[in-house]
Amino acid sequence: MRRVLAIWVMSSAAVLFAQEFKVGSKVSDFQVQDLDGKPVSFSGLRGQVTVVTFISTQCPVSNGYNQRMNALFNDYSSKGVKFIFVNANQNERAGEVRQHAKNVGFVFPVYKDANNVVADRFGAEVTPENYVIDSSGVIRYHGSIDDSQNEARIRTRGLRLALDAVLAGKPVDLTETKAFGCSIKRARKGT
Amino acid sequence: MRRLVIAVLAASLPSIGALTPVDESAFQKLVESHKGKVVVYDFWATWCVGCRAELPKLVALEAKLRGQGFELVTISADEPEQDADAEKFLKRSAVRGTLYRKQPKSDDQFINSIDVKWSGALPALFLYDKSGKKVRSFIGDTDMASVEAAIRKLL
Repeated sequence: MRRVLAIWVMSSAAVLFAQEFKVGSKVSDFQVQDLDGKPVSFSGLRGQVTVVTFISTQCPVSNGYNQRMNALFNDYSSKGVKFIFVNANQNERAGEVRQHAKNVGFVFPVYKDANNVVADRFGAEVTPENYVIDSSGVIRYHGSIDDSQNEARIRTRGLRLALDAVLAGKPVDLTETKAFGCSIKRARKGT
Repeated sequence: MRRLVIAVLAASLPSIGALTPVDESAFQKLVESHKGKVVVYDFWATWCVGCRAELPKLVALEAKLRGQGFELVTISADEPEQDADAEKFLKRSAVRGTLYRKQPKSDDQFINSIDVKWSGALPALFLYDKSGKKVRSFIGDTDMASVEAAIRKLL
Protein backbone atom coordinates (compact mmCIF):
# COMPACT_ATOMS: atom_id res chain seq x y z
CA MET A 1 0.00 0.00 0.00
CA ARG A 2 2.83 2.35 0.91
CA ARG A 3 4.43 1.66 -2.45
CA VAL A 4 1.18 2.38 -4.28
CA LEU A 5 0.82 5.60 -2.32
CA ALA A 6 4.41 6.58 -3.11
CA ILE A 7 3.83 6.02 -6.83
CA TRP A 8 0.62 8.02 -6.66
CA VAL A 9 2.37 10.90 -4.90
CA MET A 10 5.19 10.89 -7.45
CA SER A 11 2.70 10.81 -10.34
CA SER A 12 0.69 13.63 -8.85
CA ALA A 13 3.81 15.71 -8.37
CA ALA A 14 4.81 15.11 -11.98
CA VAL A 15 1.48 16.34 -13.33
CA LEU A 16 1.74 20.04 -12.69
CA PHE A 17 -1.16 21.01 -14.89
CA ALA A 18 -3.89 19.23 -16.79
CA GLN A 19 -3.03 19.29 -20.47
CA GLU A 20 -6.17 18.99 -22.56
CA PHE A 21 -5.08 19.78 -26.11
CA LYS A 22 -2.56 17.63 -27.95
CA VAL A 23 -1.42 17.16 -31.53
CA GLY A 24 -4.26 15.43 -33.36
CA SER A 25 -6.90 16.49 -30.86
CA LYS A 26 -9.62 19.03 -31.45
CA VAL A 27 -9.39 22.28 -29.59
CA SER A 28 -12.53 23.31 -27.74
CA ASP A 29 -13.21 26.97 -27.15
CA PHE A 30 -10.87 28.99 -25.00
CA GLN A 31 -10.63 32.62 -23.99
CA VAL A 32 -7.75 35.00 -23.64
CA GLN A 33 -7.96 38.66 -22.62
CA ASP A 34 -6.94 41.70 -24.61
CA LEU A 35 -4.69 44.18 -22.83
CA ASP A 36 -7.74 46.07 -21.57
CA GLY A 37 -8.98 42.89 -19.92
CA LYS A 38 -11.77 42.16 -22.38
CA PRO A 39 -12.25 38.46 -23.18
CA VAL A 40 -11.46 37.29 -26.71
CA SER A 41 -12.77 33.92 -27.73
CA PHE A 42 -11.06 31.38 -30.01
CA SER A 43 -14.48 30.34 -31.31
CA GLY A 44 -14.70 33.68 -33.08
CA LEU A 45 -11.80 32.51 -35.26
CA ARG A 46 -13.25 29.12 -36.23
CA GLY A 47 -12.85 28.20 -39.86
CA GLN A 48 -9.41 29.72 -40.01
CA VAL A 49 -5.99 28.20 -39.66
CA THR A 50 -4.74 29.56 -36.36
CA VAL A 51 -1.34 29.84 -34.73
CA VAL A 52 -1.24 30.07 -30.94
CA THR A 53 2.13 31.26 -29.65
CA PHE A 54 3.06 31.73 -26.01
CA ILE A 55 5.51 34.60 -25.57
CA SER A 56 7.16 36.65 -22.86
CA THR A 57 8.28 40.23 -22.36
CA GLN A 58 11.32 39.28 -20.27
CA CYS A 59 12.56 35.99 -21.70
CA PRO A 60 15.66 36.53 -23.84
CA VAL A 61 14.82 33.51 -25.99
CA SER A 62 11.31 34.76 -26.70
CA ASN A 63 12.71 38.23 -27.38
CA GLY A 64 15.25 36.70 -29.73
CA TYR A 65 12.31 35.65 -31.87
CA ASN A 66 10.47 38.99 -31.92
CA GLN A 67 11.39 39.89 -35.48
CA ARG A 68 10.87 36.30 -36.65
CA MET A 69 7.38 36.45 -35.13
CA ASN A 70 6.69 39.71 -36.95
CA ALA A 71 7.87 38.09 -40.19
CA LEU A 72 5.64 35.06 -39.59
CA PHE A 73 2.64 37.29 -38.97
CA ASN A 74 3.33 39.34 -42.08
CA ASP A 75 3.96 36.30 -44.28
CA TYR A 76 0.99 34.21 -43.17
CA SER A 77 -1.74 36.60 -42.09
CA SER A 78 -1.93 37.62 -45.74
CA LYS A 79 -2.71 33.94 -46.46
CA GLY A 80 -5.62 33.93 -44.04
CA VAL A 81 -3.82 32.56 -40.98
CA LYS A 82 -4.95 33.96 -37.63
CA PHE A 83 -2.40 34.48 -34.88
CA ILE A 84 -3.04 34.47 -31.14
CA PHE A 85 0.09 35.63 -29.35
CA VAL A 86 -0.44 34.92 -25.66
CA ASN A 87 1.44 36.10 -22.62
CA ALA A 88 0.65 33.60 -19.86
CA ASN A 89 3.37 34.73 -17.46
CA GLN A 90 1.74 35.81 -14.24
CA ASN A 91 4.69 38.10 -13.41
CA GLU A 92 4.22 40.12 -16.61
CA ARG A 93 1.24 42.44 -16.27
CA ALA A 94 -0.87 43.82 -19.12
CA GLY A 95 0.78 47.24 -18.87
CA GLU A 96 4.22 45.71 -19.23
CA VAL A 97 3.03 43.59 -22.16
CA ARG A 98 1.62 46.68 -23.87
CA GLN A 99 4.84 48.66 -23.38
CA HIS A 100 6.99 45.76 -24.51
CA ALA A 101 4.93 45.29 -27.68
CA LYS A 102 5.38 48.96 -28.44
CA ASN A 103 9.11 48.93 -27.70
CA VAL A 104 9.90 45.91 -29.86
CA GLY A 105 7.52 46.92 -32.63
CA PHE A 106 5.14 43.97 -32.68
CA VAL A 107 2.86 44.17 -35.71
CA PHE A 108 0.29 41.92 -34.02
CA PRO A 109 -1.84 42.14 -30.88
CA VAL A 110 -0.75 40.31 -27.73
CA TYR A 111 -3.25 38.78 -25.33
CA LYS A 112 -3.02 37.85 -21.68
CA ASP A 113 -3.92 34.47 -20.23
CA ALA A 114 -5.21 35.12 -16.71
CA ASN A 115 -4.12 32.38 -14.31
CA ASN A 116 -2.47 30.60 -17.28
CA VAL A 117 -5.67 28.69 -17.93
CA VAL A 118 -5.01 28.51 -21.67
CA ALA A 119 -1.34 27.57 -21.20
CA ASP A 120 -2.48 24.75 -18.92
CA ARG A 121 -5.02 23.46 -21.45
CA PHE A 122 -2.38 23.47 -24.21
CA GLY A 123 0.30 22.11 -21.91
CA ALA A 124 2.58 24.98 -22.90
CA GLU A 125 5.71 25.07 -20.76
CA VAL A 126 8.02 27.66 -22.27
CA THR A 127 8.23 30.83 -24.32
CA PRO A 128 8.15 30.82 -27.25
CA GLU A 129 5.98 27.72 -27.76
CA ASN A 130 3.71 27.29 -30.77
CA TYR A 131 0.63 25.41 -31.91
CA VAL A 132 -0.91 25.26 -35.37
CA ILE A 133 -4.64 24.59 -35.43
CA ASP A 134 -6.23 23.70 -38.76
CA SER A 135 -9.55 24.99 -40.06
CA SER A 136 -11.42 22.10 -38.42
CA GLY A 137 -9.94 22.99 -35.02
CA VAL A 138 -7.44 20.12 -34.85
CA ILE A 139 -3.87 20.74 -33.62
CA ARG A 140 -1.47 19.85 -36.43
CA TYR A 141 1.80 21.11 -35.00
CA HIS A 142 3.33 21.78 -31.62
CA GLY A 143 6.81 23.04 -30.90
CA SER A 144 9.38 25.63 -31.78
CA ILE A 145 9.37 28.33 -34.43
CA ASP A 146 12.65 26.92 -35.72
CA ASP A 147 15.54 24.96 -34.31
CA SER A 148 18.06 27.68 -33.45
CA GLN A 149 18.11 30.96 -31.58
CA ASN A 150 20.90 31.96 -33.93
CA GLU A 151 19.31 32.52 -37.33
CA ALA A 152 22.56 31.55 -39.08
CA ARG A 153 22.27 28.04 -37.65
CA ILE A 154 18.63 27.32 -38.46
CA ARG A 155 18.18 23.96 -40.16
CA THR A 156 14.48 23.32 -39.66
CA ARG A 157 11.70 25.89 -39.61
CA GLY A 158 9.09 23.65 -38.01
CA LEU A 159 6.32 26.22 -37.68
CA ARG A 160 6.57 27.45 -41.28
CA LEU A 161 6.75 23.88 -42.61
CA ALA A 162 3.59 23.00 -40.69
CA LEU A 163 1.74 26.10 -41.85
CA ASP A 164 2.71 25.51 -45.46
CA ALA A 165 1.48 21.91 -45.26
CA VAL A 166 -1.81 22.81 -43.55
CA LEU A 167 -2.51 25.63 -46.00
CA ALA A 168 -1.80 23.25 -48.88
CA GLY A 169 -4.15 20.65 -47.38
CA LYS A 170 -1.26 18.22 -46.95
CA PRO A 171 -0.29 16.21 -43.87
CA VAL A 172 2.31 17.78 -41.62
CA ASP A 173 5.51 15.69 -41.67
CA LEU A 174 7.04 17.11 -38.51
CA THR A 175 4.16 17.37 -36.05
CA GLU A 176 6.18 17.83 -32.86
CA THR A 177 9.43 19.60 -32.13
CA LYS A 178 10.91 20.54 -28.78
CA ALA A 179 10.08 24.11 -27.92
CA PHE A 180 12.95 25.73 -26.07
CA GLY A 181 12.93 28.87 -23.98
CA CYS A 182 12.07 30.22 -20.56
CA SER A 183 9.53 28.44 -18.42
CA ILE A 184 6.09 30.03 -18.23
CA LYS A 185 5.68 31.67 -14.84
CA ARG A 186 2.47 30.11 -13.63
CA ALA A 187 0.04 31.14 -10.94
CA ARG A 188 0.18 29.03 -7.81
CA LYS A 189 -3.19 27.36 -7.80
CA GLY A 190 -4.95 26.00 -4.78
CA THR A 191 -2.61 27.81 -2.43
CA MET B 1 38.00 41.75 5.11
CA ARG B 2 35.06 40.29 3.16
CA ARG B 3 36.65 41.43 -0.11
CA LEU B 4 39.91 39.75 0.89
CA VAL B 5 38.15 36.48 1.63
CA ILE B 6 36.37 36.61 -1.74
CA ALA B 7 39.64 37.42 -3.53
CA VAL B 8 41.43 34.50 -1.86
CA LEU B 9 38.49 32.20 -2.62
CA ALA B 10 38.42 33.29 -6.27
CA ALA B 11 42.16 32.78 -6.61
CA SER B 12 41.81 29.24 -5.27
CA LEU B 13 39.13 28.28 -7.81
CA PRO B 14 40.12 26.02 -10.68
CA SER B 15 40.66 27.95 -13.88
CA ILE B 16 37.80 27.55 -16.33
CA GLY B 17 38.48 27.03 -20.00
CA ALA B 18 36.07 27.03 -22.92
CA LEU B 19 32.86 25.05 -22.56
CA THR B 20 33.20 21.56 -23.97
CA PRO B 21 30.51 20.70 -26.52
CA VAL B 22 28.48 17.52 -25.95
CA ASP B 23 26.20 15.63 -28.28
CA GLU B 24 24.25 12.41 -27.67
CA SER B 25 27.26 10.09 -27.79
CA ALA B 26 29.45 12.43 -25.76
CA PHE B 27 26.75 12.56 -23.10
CA GLN B 28 26.60 8.77 -22.95
CA LYS B 29 30.39 8.67 -22.56
CA LEU B 30 30.08 11.25 -19.80
CA VAL B 31 27.57 9.06 -17.96
CA GLU B 32 29.82 6.04 -18.47
CA SER B 33 32.84 7.86 -17.08
CA HIS B 34 30.91 8.87 -13.95
CA LYS B 35 29.89 5.35 -12.98
CA GLY B 36 30.60 4.78 -9.31
CA LYS B 37 29.29 8.23 -8.41
CA VAL B 38 25.85 9.68 -7.91
CA VAL B 39 25.55 12.48 -10.43
CA VAL B 40 23.18 15.33 -11.14
CA TYR B 41 23.41 16.59 -14.70
CA ASP B 42 22.22 20.18 -14.61
CA PHE B 43 20.96 21.58 -17.90
CA TRP B 44 20.91 25.33 -17.57
CA ALA B 45 21.30 28.53 -19.58
CA THR B 46 22.41 32.07 -18.90
CA TRP B 47 19.00 33.36 -20.01
CA CYS B 48 17.15 31.05 -17.60
CA VAL B 49 16.39 32.94 -14.38
CA GLY B 50 15.43 29.77 -12.51
CA CYS B 51 18.66 28.08 -13.59
CA ARG B 52 20.79 30.96 -12.37
CA ALA B 53 19.02 30.91 -9.02
CA GLU B 54 19.39 27.15 -8.71
CA LEU B 55 23.00 26.65 -9.75
CA PRO B 56 24.72 28.12 -6.66
CA LYS B 57 22.47 25.92 -4.50
CA LEU B 58 23.56 22.88 -6.48
CA VAL B 59 27.20 23.89 -6.07
CA ALA B 60 26.65 24.14 -2.30
CA LEU B 61 24.98 20.75 -2.34
CA GLU B 62 27.92 19.23 -4.18
CA ALA B 63 30.33 20.74 -1.68
CA LYS B 64 28.31 19.14 1.12
CA LEU B 65 27.98 15.69 -0.45
CA ARG B 66 31.14 15.43 -2.57
CA GLY B 67 32.94 13.36 0.06
CA GLN B 68 30.11 10.83 -0.04
CA GLY B 69 30.40 10.30 -3.78
CA PHE B 70 28.17 12.95 -5.31
CA GLU B 71 29.12 15.03 -8.32
CA LEU B 72 27.47 17.87 -10.18
CA VAL B 73 27.92 18.18 -13.94
CA THR B 74 26.69 21.33 -15.65
CA ILE B 75 25.66 21.40 -19.30
CA SER B 76 24.79 24.78 -20.75
CA ALA B 77 21.97 25.06 -23.25
CA ASP B 78 23.30 28.40 -24.44
CA GLU B 79 24.40 29.16 -27.95
CA PRO B 80 28.19 29.11 -28.49
CA GLU B 81 28.07 32.92 -28.71
CA GLN B 82 27.11 32.97 -25.02
CA ASP B 83 30.12 30.89 -23.91
CA ALA B 84 31.86 33.88 -22.36
CA ASP B 85 28.78 34.83 -20.33
CA ALA B 86 28.20 31.22 -19.33
CA GLU B 87 31.81 30.80 -18.20
CA LYS B 88 31.67 34.03 -16.25
CA PHE B 89 28.57 32.91 -14.40
CA LEU B 90 29.94 29.42 -13.74
CA LYS B 91 33.18 30.87 -12.44
CA ARG B 92 31.31 33.25 -10.16
CA SER B 93 29.24 30.32 -8.90
CA ALA B 94 32.41 28.32 -8.16
CA VAL B 95 31.38 25.39 -10.35
CA ARG B 96 34.08 22.72 -10.40
CA GLY B 97 35.33 20.39 -13.07
CA THR B 98 34.80 20.37 -16.81
CA LEU B 99 32.08 22.66 -18.08
CA TYR B 100 29.89 21.51 -20.92
CA ARG B 101 27.58 23.02 -23.53
CA LYS B 102 25.12 20.92 -25.47
CA GLN B 103 25.88 21.02 -29.13
CA PRO B 104 24.06 18.20 -30.87
CA LYS B 105 23.24 17.96 -34.55
CA SER B 106 19.58 17.91 -33.57
CA ASP B 107 18.31 19.44 -30.33
CA ASP B 108 15.17 17.32 -30.50
CA GLN B 109 17.12 14.07 -30.80
CA PHE B 110 19.47 15.10 -28.03
CA ILE B 111 16.62 15.96 -25.66
CA ASN B 112 14.83 12.71 -26.49
CA SER B 113 18.02 10.73 -25.94
CA ILE B 114 18.17 12.02 -22.39
CA ASP B 115 14.48 11.72 -21.58
CA VAL B 116 11.64 11.40 -24.09
CA LYS B 117 9.30 12.99 -21.58
CA TRP B 118 11.51 16.08 -21.30
CA SER B 119 10.22 18.98 -23.35
CA GLY B 120 13.59 20.71 -23.16
CA ALA B 121 12.29 23.18 -20.56
CA LEU B 122 14.91 24.55 -18.17
CA PRO B 123 16.11 24.22 -15.52
CA ALA B 124 16.31 20.46 -15.88
CA LEU B 125 18.15 18.18 -13.46
CA PHE B 126 18.70 14.50 -14.17
CA LEU B 127 19.81 12.32 -11.29
CA TYR B 128 21.88 9.21 -12.08
CA ASP B 129 22.79 6.47 -9.66
CA LYS B 130 26.21 4.85 -9.22
CA SER B 131 25.50 2.33 -11.96
CA GLY B 132 24.97 5.14 -14.47
CA LYS B 133 21.21 4.69 -14.56
CA LYS B 134 18.92 7.70 -14.68
CA VAL B 135 16.60 7.47 -11.71
CA ARG B 136 14.84 10.81 -11.54
CA SER B 137 14.37 14.15 -13.22
CA PHE B 138 13.52 17.56 -11.80
CA ILE B 139 12.13 19.92 -14.41
CA GLY B 140 11.46 23.58 -13.72
CA ASP B 141 12.04 25.41 -10.47
CA THR B 142 12.81 22.73 -7.92
CA ASP B 143 12.95 22.59 -4.16
CA MET B 144 16.58 21.80 -3.35
CA ALA B 145 15.59 19.80 -0.25
CA SER B 146 13.84 17.24 -2.46
CA VAL B 147 16.91 17.04 -4.71
CA GLU B 148 19.15 16.47 -1.70
CA ALA B 149 16.83 13.81 -0.31
CA ALA B 150 16.81 11.97 -3.63
CA ILE B 151 20.61 12.13 -3.85
CA ARG B 152 21.11 10.89 -0.30
CA LYS B 153 18.99 7.82 -1.01
CA LEU B 154 21.49 6.82 -3.69
CA LEU B 155 24.75 7.50 -1.83
